[in-house]
Amino acid sequence: MWKTILRRILIMIPELIILSILVFLLAKAMPGDPFTGSINPRASQAQIHHLMQIHGLYDPWYQQYWNWVVHLFHGDLGMSYEYQEPVVDLIKQRGANTLWLALFTMVLTYLIGLPLGIYAGRHEGKFQDTLVRVYTYVTMSIPFFVVLVIGIWIFGYALNWFPTSGSISAQASGLGETLISRLGHIILPGLLGALFGTVNIVQYLRSEVIDAKHSDYVRTARSKGVPMKDIYRHHIFRNSLLPIAAFAGYSITGLLGGSIFTEMVFSYPGMGLLFLNAINYRDYTVITALVLLYGFLNLMGTLLSDIALSIVDPRVRVE
Amino acid sequence: MSNKKKWLTAGIAMLSVMTLAACSNSKSSNSGTTKHISLPASYTGSGKATTAGNNSTLKVAEVNDAPFAGISSPTLSTNAEDQDVFAPGGSQWGAIDGLFNVTKNYKIINGGLANLKLDRKAKTATITLRKDAKWSNGSKVTAKDVEYPYEIIGNKNTTSQQYSSDFAAIKGMAAYHAGKAKTISGFTYPDGQKGRTVVIHFTKMSPSMQYLGNSFIWQSVEPYEYYGKTPISKLASSPKVRKNPIFTGPYKLDKVVQGESTSWSPNKYYYGKKPQIKNITIQVVSSNNIVAAFKSKKYDFAAGGPNVVMPSSQYPKVKVLKDYTETGIPAMGYSYFGFNVGHMNTKTGLNVMDKNSKMGNKNLRRAMMYAVNVDAVAKKFGNGLSWRANTLIPPTFKNVYDSKTPGFKYNMKKAKSLLNKAGYKKQGKWRTDPNGKKLVIHLGAMTSSAATEATYQYYLQQWHKAGLNVKMTTGKPMEMNSFYSTIQKPKQNKIDVFLGAWSTSSEPTPTQIYGVDAPYNMGHFASKKNTQLLNSLNSNKAWNAKYRAQQFKKWQRYMNSQAAYGPEQFNLAWTPVNHRVKGYDVNAQNNEFWSNLSLTAANPK
Repeated sequence: MWKTILRRILIMIPELIILSILVFLLAKAMPGDPFTGSINPRASQAQIHHLMQIHGLYDPWYQQYWNWVVHLFHGDLGMSYEYQEPVVDLIKQRGANTLWLALFTMVLTYLIGLPLGIYAGRHEGKFQDTLVRVYTYVTMSIPFFVVLVIGIWIFGYALNWFPTSGSISAQASGLGETLISRLGHIILPGLLGALFGTVNIVQYLRSEVIDAKHSDYVRTARSKGVPMKDIYRHHIFRNSLLPIAAFAGYSITGLLGGSIFTEMVFSYPGMGLLFLNAINYRDYTVITALVLLYGFLNLMGTLLSDIALSIVDPRVRVE
Repeated sequence: MSNKKKWLTAGIAMLSVMTLAACSNSKSSNSGTTKHISLPASYTGSGKATTAGNNSTLKVAEVNDAPFAGISSPTLSTNAEDQDVFAPGGSQWGAIDGLFNVTKNYKIINGGLANLKLDRKAKTATITLRKDAKWSNGSKVTAKDVEYPYEIIGNKNTTSQQYSSDFAAIKGMAAYHAGKAKTISGFTYPDGQKGRTVVIHFTKMSPSMQYLGNSFIWQSVEPYEYYGKTPISKLASSPKVRKNPIFTGPYKLDKVVQGESTSWSPNKYYYGKKPQIKNITIQVVSSNNIVAAFKSKKYDFAAGGPNVVMPSSQYPKVKVLKDYTETGIPAMGYSYFGFNVGHMNTKTGLNVMDKNSKMGNKNLRRAMMYAVNVDAVAKKFGNGLSWRANTLIPPTFKNVYDSKTPGFKYNMKKAKSLLNKAGYKKQGKWRTDPNGKKLVIHLGAMTSSAATEATYQYYLQQWHKAGLNVKMTTGKPMEMNSFYSTIQKPKQNKIDVFLGAWSTSSEPTPTQIYGVDAPYNMGHFASKKNTQLLNSLNSNKAWNAKYRAQQFKKWQRYMNSQAAYGPEQFNLAWTPVNHRVKGYDVNAQNNEFWSNLSLTAANPK
């Protein structure tokens, strides 16, 4: 298996190179440049040309690309035009915010989703099952931004239970206070994300549990007199996890993706907004860095999923 | 089972109703008023300021849908958000580390961090710092600190976007900017670099130098000593600018949460009036949430002072809040129609009018202006906060704004007769040009809010009524970057008429937008008379304020007569102010904005 993993990683290299060239070219092909529309009328056109020049924006693309690659291997992704700070620092700041929120949301999602899925599968066709299904249908059919707006309105503004803006209070100081303030800021968006994001887990798990329930090995176990509890714990649960393990890898690497809706509604400075603004402002360095990062994460995600799958299901072996 | 199903549908129906209510804007019914609302520029809550109030935290909202960049230096920052969140580092709004006090017309007067003396004969500006001028870390503000911004702006490797051709009027600035000199020779220090006096030597003097926001004299200081050896190209990303900046204003920065918030406490080294409130926080709030935030009393007012950007669509919902009073001041800016009448000669750098261009006929342009009812648009979408602009100078500059010129009041009859007289005859559905050729005019406009895009459709419809075949370039509103990269080309024929907007600095000379050599003169309007009038605004004679005002007015009327640029709308910069706040005042002459604030209660009422 190690061989396979190594091979997969090696294949990633040309993939990433092609991706980076594509991204680089596409970013440059967009109309406008980082200074379009942002310069005040007092600045002379010559100054814009000057800025374009010192940033190397007039060089041919292959030269720009080469410079970029050389810098990349020195751990330097360039400076953001919009924020005027190193892209690496920017991604570190925003990435940390996003990671906090996404991890919290993911843990909650699994905490809610796994028991609900099993519960629904176990009570297939009964009242409890319908209740869970209705819950998933409702949460799935409401657009998430609506949930966020209503959520922040009720729990943030009307009831005043949670902070409504940012990732940390402006006045929090000291380690303890900082941690508590950070946690306080992600509870509401995290909870909403989890409550309204369980549909995949619940539905997959439910149907797997139902399938497993009717399979031969469960029937055999039951006929041997194994208690239902043990059957669920040892036989059904593990087998039902297969499809979930299949996309667990993606969800782990997807943690850094950020959610534009959540970040907008909660004024939460994360990766989603960073990406969106970078595109709007033609912040080339940020765009290329992020696309490449996401590309890399996606490739890693597939690999992780395959590995996870092979751990859960001994029949599947990556060779 | 059937019962459960019913419950389910009911549940979904209920939820969808809530969704609609949450999304739709409640339409206001402000009937009858064609004129705009006038709001007071200041507010002072009833009752006395209390110790509990002043010991609490003033909560200011920065309305913005993205995190701020976080560059505290006004010389280096490139956007208004940064200026807003670091505002308590200066005594007035929009003047972080500001040097000068001003009158209601933004004329520079004595009494600020420094005094300014202009000597027209010697062509010098002498800036003298006050004796007790100190940074918030206790060190002295020096003459070098006054000069350093010019070095930052003019440096070859700078990231600052502030360099304008006017700075070349400072002796030696051009050489320094080109990298040929290590210092700017036009700066002298009578009592040394660590002294209090700087003399700037110019090659020419301009009457605009008397006003804050002019393009010759930079209006803030930079802490040269504190920056130490940080190279200018790295300043914007250095912690001394982002994390631990020092200021000369009434407050010092306690903490900045990147992209989110700043918090402040009084600067004990401040030279001016002692600030009364112990803490200030300024926090980014998205425009979608700002009404709810005010409703639940999370903030005292919105940041931005005379340039605050509360969305006008939210006004009816904010107006009804009992614990807030709305304040406002005409914004330093306007929106306009631009007509493409020429090109820029890239060799000479001058705009040239093409007589035979599609929009070259001024009566066609005037007809198009008269055909649209901007009053109606402002009434429909402006909630009383915007109104039809009559000139290209915003009314906030009372001394030079021409309130009497009528502008283009809706008159379809006149529009049609202007077209008929100019030879744009109707043939079938549409008018042709005077030579009988098919005439299709392309409107370029940026993607924006639903209301703005509805406005574009309205304009098209009105022009159609006048018989002009006007279409949108690319068939729909354009994305911002495509729009600008199209109209900023030296020569283009994709856009014949466009909608744009300008914000102005506190010195409104429009030469850099409408001058013959202005790259931002994107319609390429140029005429002898225009150049003459623009030059006269800052000629020797214009040191006489009356003459200057008169020339400003002449220019405004002339621009309307040519209609190469047609004024569209003015608007109010407004914010609600909580009733616990005393002394809120965004008038220009309030030179102690922050220190004049006090609070009557510990939390927003």
